[in-house]
Amino acid sequence: MAVLSRWLRHGAEAVAALLLAALFVTFVLQVFSRYVLVNPIGWTVELCLTLWVWIVFWGNAFIVREKDHVTFDMLYLAAGDRLRRVLALISALAIIIALAVSLLPTWDYIDFLRIKRSPTLGIPMRDVFSIYMLFLVAVMVAYAYRVYRVIRYGAPADRHHLNGMDE
Amino acid sequence: MSLHFSLGLLTLFLLAAIGTPIGYGIITAAVVYLAVGGLDIGLAGEQLLYGLYDSFVLLAVPLFITAANIMNAGTISDRLLQFCVVVVGRFRGGLGHVNVVASLIFSGMSGSAVADAAGIGKLITEMMTRENHYSRGYAAAITAASATIGPIIPPSIPMVLYALVSNASIGYLFLGGILPGLVMGVVLMAMNAYLAGRRGFVLEQPVPLKALPRHTARAFPALLMPAILLYGIYGGVTTPTEAAAVAAAYALLLAGLFYRSLSLAGLYRILVDSARASAAVGLVIGGALILNYMVVAENIPNRLAEAMVGVEVSPLVFLLGGNVLLLLLGCVLDATTIILVIIPLFLPTCRELGIDLVHFGVVAVVNCMIGLITPPYGILLFVINAVTGTPLAEMIREIWAFLGVLLVALLVMILWPDLVLFLPRLLGYRG
Repeated sequence: MAVLSRWLRHGAEAVAALLLAALFVTFVLQVFSRYVLVNPIGWTVELCLTLWVWIVFWGNAFIVREKDHVTFDMLYLAAGDRLRRVLALISALAIIIALAVSLLPTWDYIDFLRIKRSPTLGIPMRDVFSIYMLFLVAVMVAYAYRVYRVIRYGAPADRHHLNGMDE
Repeated sequence: MSLHFSLGLLTLFLLAAIGTPIGYGIITAAVVYLAVGGLDIGLAGEQLLYGLYDSFVLLAVPLFITAANIMNAGTISDRLLQFCVVVVGRFRGGLGHVNVVASLIFSGMSGSAVADAAGIGKLITEMMTRENHYSRGYAAAITAASATIGPIIPPSIPMVLYALVSNASIGYLFLGGILPGLVMGVVLMAMNAYLAGRRGFVLEQPVPLKALPRHTARAFPALLMPAILLYGIYGGVTTPTEAAAVAAAYALLLAGLFYRSLSLAGLYRILVDSARASAAVGLVIGGALILNYMVVAENIPNRLAEAMVGVEVSPLVFLLGGNVLLLLLGCVLDATTIILVIIPLFLPTCRELGIDLVHFGVVAVVNCMIGLITPPYGILLFVINAVTGTPLAEMIREIWAFLGVLLVALLVMILWPDLVLFLPRLLGYRG
């Protein structure tokens, strides 16, 4: 079980690294084609945007840990063990319920987009956005697992978002 | 305000207060808003997906994050520091000056204060405390304070986020940050010089000027980076987003090929970490897009603007009041949350009062960066605490003097918009 979960984690990280590397290369290609070859490639912008959407949702589904999120954690960290456990459970359950409620309506919308194709590459938008469904399900499963962990072992008291390079 | 909107906001505040990740808190609030209002719940996902898919400028975020991580992994920071030691290390309080100057240069390469603190900040703090010339609290405090300059001098991730919510031009925002960033550096160095004189910090053994050419040569390729970025953006070669890719490519070239300080395994870790950080921020950005949809659907901006017409508020009073509010919020919130969630509420009033959005943006970003070092919640304090082990209490005791001068610098920027707008106007900004 432990081996399997480690392999899954490494696999998920590799996919994320690959997506980011592809975004980077595509971008460099775009700059190069426009300014060096003076013959801009049309599809690079669209591919970059698709990769960006995938990085965000693949990332949050599989490689972003609870402590990586942007979070207001002052009250949570100041709370005692027992209260923190309750707070963590409320958070997790609220997220699970909200995502579960949105599951079918969201799929209706995304599935409807099969008739719409992206402007230059002609990929059905349903396929571009399908990652969001995977994200919804994965996050629900992850928070269900968190509910189990919190009940069993208590709520962790890590500070959040220390590795965020966004600010 | 409609009932479903109030319930949505209430959900968001309650969840955010108890430590739910902001991004998920907003999605949950949006589901409550849509469900109670009898609207299509699929709209939440639609806004999120199309918002991210439509905003080309956002691509700068993952690229700047990757560039910052590459620079921290290679020996680029190390070389820059050595160069700064030779130049300003000889004065009283020398390593404090080195700290600020290194941050100034680094800020021209990276768009993130956290990257500055975790990379160059870690090295300089170690240097300052090595021979007990500086207390660890002082070293950590000036490191945190100087790291705030990172996103003020271009490039800047927070300014990209501000551009997204305000539609102000990234190019002019970046330009507007240059002089304020330099002013922040000057006031920090002045405070450092004053404290060094008063406390009688020992002088470092000066590095002979003879060594200057050698150290300059070692650091030169890295020093070129800000010039390449600025030329790229303002020479009309690249868009600011593309400049982010160029920065990452150049950092990779330097660290990998030129300085040979980056292995393939190291590069892989950087990609994974950068993807993780980008995804976490991307979720909040997506959340902000949903929130923006809700706010617009409820016609909040117009109502706020109408409410402002009746009240006689001068732009200056609004700017001052708004900044005090942002500073207070900065004591408890992340800058990303403030810029993406709170600032959009200010913008309609700014437009109504005729406040320039580039001026407001630069001031707001400076304000949010100061918020990164205001206790009790200051991410820079936590990051430096994590990478150097300096206790928070010691750091906070020493931070006030630097915080004070940065606030003075902020006040100057508010009262004197030309400081911000001079360079953008020079390059054609009509505002």
